[in-house]
Amino acid sequence: MIAQFIDGPLWYFSSIVFVLGVLYRIFLIIKAGVKPDLAVPRQNGTFGAVRTMFSRFVPRRDIAKRGRLQVVAGYMFHLGLFVLLFFAKPHVDFFAERVTGVGWTPVPYWVFIVSAELAFAGLLLLWLYRLMHPVTRLLSSTGDHVGTGLVFLVMLSGCLALAHSFEALRLTHLLLAEMLLIYFPFSNLMHAFTFIFSRGFTGALMARKGINA
Amino acid sequence: MRSNSLSYSWIAALPLMGLLSVLILVLAFLLLPASAIADEQKTATPIQIPNPAADLWREVRQRDVVGVGTTQAAGVDAGTLINPYGSNWTQFRMQMLIPYGGYLLGGMLLLLLVFYLVRGRIRMEEAPSGKKLFRYTVYERTIHWFQASLFLFLAVTGLIMLFGRSLILPVTGPEVFSVLASASKEGHNLFGPVFLLALLLMFIQFVRRNIYERGDLTWLLRGGGIIGKTHLPSNFFNMGEKTLFWMLILIGGAIVASGLLLVFPVFGQGRVIMELSHVAHGIGALVMITAVLGHIYIGSIGMEGAVENMTTGYCDLTWAKEHHSNWAERCEQHGEVLSDEQVARSQGSHRYQADDVDAETVRETN
Repeated sequence: MIAQFIDGPLWYFSSIVFVLGVLYRIFLIIKAGVKPDLAVPRQNGTFGAVRTMFSRFVPRRDIAKRGRLQVVAGYMFHLGLFVLLFFAKPHVDFFAERVTGVGWTPVPYWVFIVSAELAFAGLLLLWLYRLMHPVTRLLSSTGDHVGTGLVFLVMLSGCLALAHSFEALRLTHLLLAEMLLIYFPFSNLMHAFTFIFSRGFTGALMARKGINA
Repeated sequence: MRSNSLSYSWIAALPLMGLLSVLILVLAFLLLPASAIADEQKTATPIQIPNPAADLWREVRQRDVVGVGTTQAAGVDAGTLINPYGSNWTQFRMQMLIPYGGYLLGGMLLLLLVFYLVRGRIRMEEAPSGKKLFRYTVYERTIHWFQASLFLFLAVTGLIMLFGRSLILPVTGPEVFSVLASASKEGHNLFGPVFLLALLLMFIQFVRRNIYERGDLTWLLRGGGIIGKTHLPSNFFNMGEKTLFWMLILIGGAIVASGLLLVFPVFGQGRVIMELSHVAHGIGALVMITAVLGHIYIGSIGMEGAVENMTTGYCDLTWAKEHHSNWAERCEQHGEVLSDEQVARSQGSHRYQADDVDAETVRETN
């Protein structure tokens, strides 16, 4: 009964909340718009926006030195999670069966495991740093910790279910993933989508002012 | 500062949770009637049916040596039909490692309990001075808790695999235990290599301060100040802390190496090496868990002011003088003593002021 609920109605409900929630948040950002800039632009704003979207992937030299742990752990977590989420065979099969209808080539098993380990190490280091550093600790809200905790639990339950031998473990993983999908649009996890807007806005604004940012 | 201390309280609870879970497991094992184990062994006795091929297999086995034949099948140990050391390993695991491992962990917990009841919490003899010394950077505390959380996870999952059949299976039944055991095995195997990363980070960051110095042996020979009320002089780390560090690096390194041999059977290692790896892994892990139980105890409920070192990064000057007097004196001579107010500002308890002392730079000069 519970298993059918997790596999069926709850999955559809959480997916709908996720999709509609994300679209609504993005709609609100677009609707808010930007104030008209009457000054003559010094550079093309669109070019600046696109450039900044990519250039911010490379940390500034001083930040890379001072925040080495955050930069390295940040890349470990995000790249590891990306590979894990979209290229691990169980996830590819799941997407093909439930979402896209078609699958794609998954990464070899050892890449999947290494990605999971990098993601775990990165997330733990980032979370601990957030708690240990006085500034990030003060900046962090309960929502940040709930989001991080949920991501951690989803990853952990997935790793515990690696043997594919027990339905209970798969369902636990799915249930936690569904909780995350429901929580996602209401949290700072939205940065997975909104980073494009924030970087684009900053890049366009600075380009129009002629600042190389 | 008070609010900061409170916000850190959950971190102090982390090792306690691990301690409690291990305590429950081991106590349950010790309380488990021996008859229950004997009953289990009785029920496992196979039905006596004469094996028509017994003589043949007896010849194949050849008792004390590994008989290697020829075969077209490729692979390590492919020519070995029966490895006689396998049963030795099984016997060692069931009759030595599990019971004596239980006694070791149980004994350590009992010792800590008795010590706590007799000695109580080791408190600072003098009141807090209102002055602080900077002890650990954010990075150092981060990697300490990174390693601590991984160690606790690996310890708990490892103990479930080692003692679970004796302790948990009779309570939960096979359905629940099989899920728990499978989850523990997968989690243990996945997090094991991450522990290697933590070990490397820990080694690189702390090795310089953990090299043995003059006076360390005196500290050890006089019982580290645990026996009696005398405070013994020590440096930034005392002999006990240094020994735990080297145990972690050497025994922890052996645990990781043997664990990798078990998880990745692709380096040409045969069954015998795997069995030896398992023995080394089990013994090493039990020794390390026992030692870390002591570390967790003394770093949390056992000593006043200890856990603040690893949560806030600062310690009180009085605490430092009582437990690390050589280091405290050196800090005083170098003018590295901070007031509570300065520390509170750097921790964000008060509005930031431009003339704040940057504690990280103080550390750089240490």
